[in-house]
Amino acid sequence: MIDLSLNEVETLCAKAARGAGFSWGLAEDIGRAARRIAVEADNWGLAMLSLAEHAQSFELPDAARAARWRSGEVDQRTGRPLCPIRTAALLLDEPLPAHAMPLAILDVGLPIWLDAMLRRSVMGVARPVGPATRADVVIERRAETELPATRRRGAIDEPTLAALNSFAARTYVPESERSRARGAGGGRVDDE
Amino acid sequence: MTAIALRPPEVVMRLQRLGAAHPTRLSFLRQLIRRATRERWRVRKHLFDLDDHGFGRVVYAVETPARTYSLVAFSTPLDDEKRSDRVIAQAWDTSYVLYDGLPDAADIARLEANAPLQEAGRYTSRELVLARANKSVRLFEDVATALAQGQQPDEEQLLGVGYLLRTTAVYGNGKFGIADRDEIAARPELAGSFQAEMLTVWLIRSFTLDLVDHIAHCRNPAGAARLAPDLRRALGVGNATGLGMAPFLVRHPLLTHSWFLARETALARVRAEPQAGEAERDAFSNALTDLRRRVARWHSDDSRQAAATRLLADDLDTLTESLDQLLAKPRPWDALYRFAEDHFSLEAQEACVSLILEPHGALIDELGDTMKADETPGHTVDGGMNCGSLRHALLDCYSWAADIDFAHPAANARFWYVSAEKLEPRLGERFEEDGAELEQPLATARDALGLAAALAQEPSSASVADFLLRRPEWRHAVRRAQIVAKFPYAEIHDNMIGAELRPVDILRAKLAFFGARSFDPRSDRWLRIALFSGEPLIEDVATMAGEPA
Repeated sequence: MIDLSLNEVETLCAKAARGAGFSWGLAEDIGRAARRIAVEADNWGLAMLSLAEHAQSFELPDAARAARWRSGEVDQRTGRPLCPIRTAALLLDEPLPAHAMPLAILDVGLPIWLDAMLRRSVMGVARPVGPATRADVVIERRAETELPATRRRGAIDEPTLAALNSFAARTYVPESERSRARGAGGGRVDDE
Repeated sequence: MTAIALRPPEVVMRLQRLGAAHPTRLSFLRQLIRRATRERWRVRKHLFDLDDHGFGRVVYAVETPARTYSLVAFSTPLDDEKRSDRVIAQAWDTSYVLYDGLPDAADIARLEANAPLQEAGRYTSRELVLARANKSVRLFEDVATALAQGQQPDEEQLLGVGYLLRTTAVYGNGKFGIADRDEIAARPELAGSFQAEMLTVWLIRSFTLDLVDHIAHCRNPAGAARLAPDLRRALGVGNATGLGMAPFLVRHPLLTHSWFLARETALARVRAEPQAGEAERDAFSNALTDLRRRVARWHSDDSRQAAATRLLADDLDTLTESLDQLLAKPRPWDALYRFAEDHFSLEAQEACVSLILEPHGALIDELGDTMKADETPGHTVDGGMNCGSLRHALLDCYSWAADIDFAHPAANARFWYVSAEKLEPRLGERFEEDGAELEQPLATARDALGLAAALAQEPSSASVADFLLRRPEWRHAVRRAQIVAKFPYAEIHDNMIGAELRPVDILRAKLAFFGARSFDPRSDRWLRIALFSGEPLIEDVATMAGEPA
């Protein structure tokens, strides 16, 4: 196992998320949520890897479904798990009115991410969701937002780290001779 | 007392002015020195195990009121052809760790197996900072030779360079497994921006002096001289900084705002003072004399910096001649600043900001405590805002960008990317190099204008949350726009991808906040500086309480 700092966890997950196809803004959110998962659970690396691997297969929330949530109508399944990141972003950007909670959202993919993303708000997932690949969840109002978590590290096994690094590597640009030469400055030896 | 308005961001946040920034008494190393002096931090050599050539390990322990920190330093042989300022180097003359507490033998052995490898090593939460430095080879050897002969080195040569070793990276905040910033942010002595990094460099400075003394002594135990106290105090630590640091100010908008807001608030406070007291006049004169002396020694092969430095010297001559007259006016510091604004180069205007602040510690030093930021509030997107309001705010905050035509190749010439080889930020030429599709989100002006155009397609009353539900690719730009609307110094008011961009301007602004001097651009994308030159030695602060810092 390798012990990462939380900053490394955040940076790696944000890059991997971008590499998996999330937008820059969502990748930032994912990095911060990963930090929260790493503080509380040992499986943050696998959670991130699952998210990266399934990034393109989730159902995306749409305006009609969001309107149903807000009006208190019963949610409907679509057959594909709902993207936990896009769902959380929607709920964070425009928090549910108090009367709409508790709200049951059906068939959320990797709900640990919805849970982690919502930690910075007064909304929360009612029961611990653990590492489930998909689950129905209940969003409820919480008394207060959680403080950013600290004082822990993110342990990860080497194969998972390598897999996440390969997602992150999709955001890197290979060097060419030209860029190497221009790069960050001169390439010379210091003799002064 | 009537208030003076802060210099607005459209003046302060231009790259040309950022590229003329000077350190002030609010700079981070000055804040550290003041605290260490006030609290009488004590430094002792816990371990000094160097061979006759100066290779081995050294531990300095710093006792602060609440905690002990240690600099663990390793000095190793290095072939001359491997000595490089570039972050891509793989071996260095010296490597360092700032350790949380006092390391035992096992810790030192563990660090000795890792620190010389730098990025290729792994570290724990007991390590707060990781750094390395190379010798200024010719100068180091000349100094060692002179001292070994019982003589002091040539002062002009010594101070012309200004340091014996030059750091090429100083890493904090969780890099390579070291402690997260969150773990130390609540400690008063390290709560301010980059205090752990500055403490590390301050200790490295003492190590460089002890190292050269040690080598000279080993060469001639009976007759070697010790480097004279005034030369020790004059020397700093060099630093080479490149593109890797450039995106920092863009990526930390709330922090950037807090730094500039503190400095501009300090300036406005001092300018509003009705008169200049005797003590303030004296302190100003001393600071001016000191700066003129430094400017006379400020060498750069960069023709642009050399010309700016010459102009600065001329402007400081003019200031010296006009000083009595300016300070006799009502609101003398304001008169002085306005005189500088009307007559001086940007380099000298910003030098005047630094000089004006210098005598006014009692009035402004507490602003140092505000130069930090919890970035968490900036994470939230206000999705309840409507698209019309956001567009309006964008066009207002980015009015400076309205005339940039991103369809023009020169405006869109560059792209920021992360190099697969070195995992470091780099700047590419969009129309000449591959990889622009992997561009980092640092094209602030282009993205702001693009977002404004996308919002124009939306019903004005539509919510931002609804917009982002359909257009998640704009999320980073929405977040930034909402920050910039609330925190005016959060954004650099220039095109970060234009053909004219000189990344050294960004680097200089950040380094000036650290307290750097002697800016020496080596290209448009990296520069050398000196830190702590002329400042007290850390081992002296315990006995100098009460002296101005």
